[in-house]
Amino acid sequence: MAYVIGPACIEELAGSCVDACPVDCIYEGARRRYIQPTECIECGACVPVCPVHAITNGPNAQPEWAEDNEQFFLTVLPGRSEPLGSPGGASSVGTVGADTELTACTPATPNDPE
Amino acid sequence: MTITETPMIDADVLIIGAGPSGLFASYYAGLRGLSVVLLDSLAEAGGQLMALYPDKPIYDVAGLPEITGSALVASLLTQAELARPTWILGEQSVELIKLEDGDACTGPPRRHVVVTDKGRRIQAGGVIIAAGVGSFRPRALAAADPYIDRGVQYTVCDIASYQDVDVVIVGGGDSAVDWANMLCPVARSVTLIHRRRALTAHAMSVKQLQQSNARVLMDSEVVAAHGSEWLEGITVRTGANHETVKTQALIPALGHVANLGPLMTWGLAVEGRQIVVDTTMATSIPGVFAIGDVTGYPGKVRIMAVGFGEAATAVNNLAAQLYPGQPVFPGHSTELMGPGTALSEAHQPPAREG
Repeated sequence: MAYVIGPACIEELAGSCVDACPVDCIYEGARRRYIQPTECIECGACVPVCPVHAITNGPNAQPEWAEDNEQFFLTVLPGRSEPLGSPGGASSVGTVGADTELTACTPATPNDPE
Repeated sequence: MTITETPMIDADVLIIGAGPSGLFASYYAGLRGLSVVLLDSLAEAGGQLMALYPDKPIYDVAGLPEITGSALVASLLTQAELARPTWILGEQSVELIKLEDGDACTGPPRRHVVVTDKGRRIQAGGVIIAAGVGSFRPRALAAADPYIDRGVQYTVCDIASYQDVDVVIVGGGDSAVDWANMLCPVARSVTLIHRRRALTAHAMSVKQLQQSNARVLMDSEVVAAHGSEWLEGITVRTGANHETVKTQALIPALGHVANLGPLMTWGLAVEGRQIVVDTTMATSIPGVFAIGDVTGYPGKVRIMAVGFGEAATAVNNLAAQLYPGQPVFPGHSTELMGPGTALSEAHQPPAREG
């Protein structure tokens, strides 16, 4: 199952995961990053590099956020006319600059970076 | 073999990708009496196991409660070698040419020719694509492009050659930090540039770097490279500031990118990054099968254990196609092979074809 970025990323946006991902499937919203579930190859390279431990494997650990990751690509985000879908690479899209409803209304978790 | 003109290689089956699934497919093809060519874009067999995690323990291979990636590859190689495959390493398949029916002579028909990026042609009765997530290449640093092999290098050469050199390493992961630590005692200067605000290498390595004489620039990006014949310096941007750093050796260590590349232009039915297969592992092109992480179907689980099963399914169905009248079921290996067959064949490192 695809990896999932959870709420610890909100207003963190460190981006180490983007550097580690071999398939460029981690997209940047306004307040956090999202993994495109059909583009993720489940290699796990992003997990150890996240400074706030936001990334987990599969939907079970953070079901609500797995759904949220998916919705980022399936719904029409504010300011856009169609869903992102599967663009096939985050660098071709750049910063999306919008978030899902859940992410937009979730406060940042007070992080304790290592 | 001399390569004045590119030789045509011929086999019953061409396996594209020498990761775990491709290696096991080689063994199985041998069991079915098929001749095998194994092709991989990397210079070393083992696929992701070797490229991404050779030292990590793996727990989900049947019968092996715990084994490291490299130990598993060594065993898979010993097993794959039983088929006496012809190895072609460091070449990528770029083109699939379908042959007309009737190219059959005495043995099984030859239905395909695959052409590699080096222009080599491989003729085969069947093709098994075990390409995983694609070929791995170092992630490119665009600003460094003009000076590739003229100061820009994606791997570290002989350490001693960096004496009297100002080295710049770009990246914040294990490779970047390890290389910086390695070059510090030798090079005239070492600068590490990372575009994020934290290094992601092992804590011990980061500590060593902080205690060294290396200069570390965080939140910084290489935006340009300069020099006449050879690289002489780079421009680094940190926020709104631009700075010129003198360097004769720029080493981008930005990890790897995987790309299925030309495979996706062969006209195979694909969904996302996966090749669509039926229950025999056949793709939409007759005689072309796919196995392992590259395949997709409802309920697919992308783990090695599944790839091994798919390898056996593909090879046995292909064998029955190539030799009409032969059953899909291979018989039991205990009856087909003599005792000690695998153990008596100490693994020899694959010899490069050509």
